Amino acid sequence: MKQKVLKRSKKAALVLMVPTATFLMAGCGQEEAVQTAAFETVDQCAAYYNPEQCKADLGQALAMHSQVAPKYTDKAACETDFGVGQCETPAQAAATAGTEQVPQQAQASSGGFFMPMMMGFLAGQMLNRSGSQLKQPVQAQPLYKSRDDNSTFRTASNTPVARGVGPAYVKPSSVQPKPAGVVNRGGFGAQAQKRSSSASTFGG
Amino acid sequence: MKKVACDERPGWRSYAESVGFEFHTFDGEPYWDETGYYQFNLRQIEQDLEQPTEELHQMAVGLVDDIIRDEEKLQQLAIPEKFWDFVASSWRNKAPSLYGRLDLVYDGTGPAKLLELNYDTPTSLFETGFFQWVWLEDQLMRGKVPQGADQFNSLQDQLEAAFANLPLANPLYFASVANSIEDKGTVMYLMDIAKQAGLDSRFIELEQLGEASGQLVDLDGYAIEGLFKLYPWEFMLQEDFASVILSSQTQWLEPGWKMLLSNKGILPLLWQKYQGHPNLLESHFEQPGQSFGAGWVRKPLFSREGANVELVTLGGEKISEPGPYADSPFIRQKLQSLPKFGDSYTMIGSWVVGNSAAGIGIREDNSLITKDSSRFLPHIILD
Repeated sequence: MKQKVLKRSKKAALVLMVPTATFLMAGCGQEEAVQTAAFETVDQCAAYYNPEQCKADLGQALAMHSQVAPKYTDKAACETDFGVGQCETPAQAAATAGTEQVPQQAQASSGGFFMPMMMGFLAGQMLNRSGSQLKQPVQAQPLYKSRDDNSTFRTASNTPVARGVGPAYVKPSSVQPKPAGVVNRGGFGAQAQKRSSSASTFGG
Repeated sequence: MKKVACDERPGWRSYAESVGFEFHTFDGEPYWDETGYYQFNLRQIEQDLEQPTEELHQMAVGLVDDIIRDEEKLQQLAIPEKFWDFVASSWRNKAPSLYGRLDLVYDGTGPAKLLELNYDTPTSLFETGFFQWVWLEDQLMRGKVPQGADQFNSLQDQLEAAFANLPLANPLYFASVANSIEDKGTVMYLMDIAKQAGLDSRFIELEQLGEASGQLVDLDGYAIEGLFKLYPWEFMLQEDFASVILSSQTQWLEPGWKMLLSNKGILPLLWQKYQGHPNLLESHFEQPGQSFGAGWVRKPLFSREGANVELVTLGGEKISEPGPYADSPFIRQKLQSLPKFGDSYTMIGSWVVGNSAAGIGIREDNSLITKDSSRFLPHIILD
């Protein structure tokens, strides 16, 4: 007998829309500096930490690079801060990193921006010195060097973390990855407000 | 095609709420309505709905290339000149598209007629892909629909495959306006499917989208590399962040070229190219001072949920739906009245994922104009 081909989905499951317990992380108190380290390569890192973790940290830093690096619409302005030949586009960064973070469409589109090249990475740190879970772990992240201070590793938001390769003590809150630059909000949604008298939806 | 009365599942409302379907009732009136269902045979589904859906889709997508090369057509569709290159390059770069919905008039016989394409921000997705699917499984189990009944509804499977296979940014952000629970529900469903397909899906209220140095950014200031927005392109092009659309390296869903197809102006353009096609209704751009006679429907280029649509029946009765979309040009479309089942006029929303037909959702209204309050009814296929 011929198997009947169904015209409906084989399954229809939900994973997000079903309610699940919410875990709240409570936390307060004095912030403790944590030991981490700055590296340029996995090999340098492997002298201090587990090589697999080093690879993962570098991977995370590379993935984060185009998201957190300071952005410039103008290449010259970027080079003023980071040095001639030290700035790149996200597409170039993705090509260097061998990742496919930037879709082809984005590479081809006009109006790109420039950002400093990644000069190193900060090793991630989940535990404090007594071995317990940090409330605010240090995330592995990309590091940069400014044109006028070529030895100091800085985070994307310009916090100095280490003079050269090796161990560094940081307060986790000071190295939470955040992009530099002014953010404007509220630029979308005005038409919905203007036309909301009769409509409950802006789909259709 | 017929309508069959059916017992409701006991407790379906609380089940609906437990899976995030909070808009099952609309201003005290039912939106999800399972006091009945529609029954089709397989030939009706495959020959009259599935095949024409894919053919109409191909015809419409085939027009994009004509339009982006033709300034007159871009002007007829009221696309601001500033965005012509954006639209054209989104098409030339093959920016991926996720989904769309064709609204069809069909009564079980004869060719289905295309009313319009909802190709930018189509909703009723959760109702179609998930809730009516669960309804069928439940009712089969309870013996309330005939054994062997199927449904034209591979929507969730096809969306999951699309999220898994399209070249999409990851993480992928999803935005809808803050105060619409219906839009949020649709977006949550898409996020859920995207997550099942392995994507890191993240919600952001549309109003909370940020801009830093020309890049679209999330609440933490991270660049948004991929954004599904349940918000019309024609609104976005008029708003403060319109220039960010041009400067941000964001992959948009739906992509820019879909604004050509979600536009009601696609209907006269389809008619010009495929005049007399059995699934098309005669349509024209409205000329200044043109009279508006019996047997015609007038629709704005940009509107949704039936807003600002007016029509004159063959008997001369004028029916209109008010709305906030009177500020765009209009088209005229030959009236093809929706079929009446009992006291209700019935319309079929036929989904496309990628280039494949992916199922239907049925809407009922007491008037000839289907709108956002129109009831949603499930369906079955029975040979």
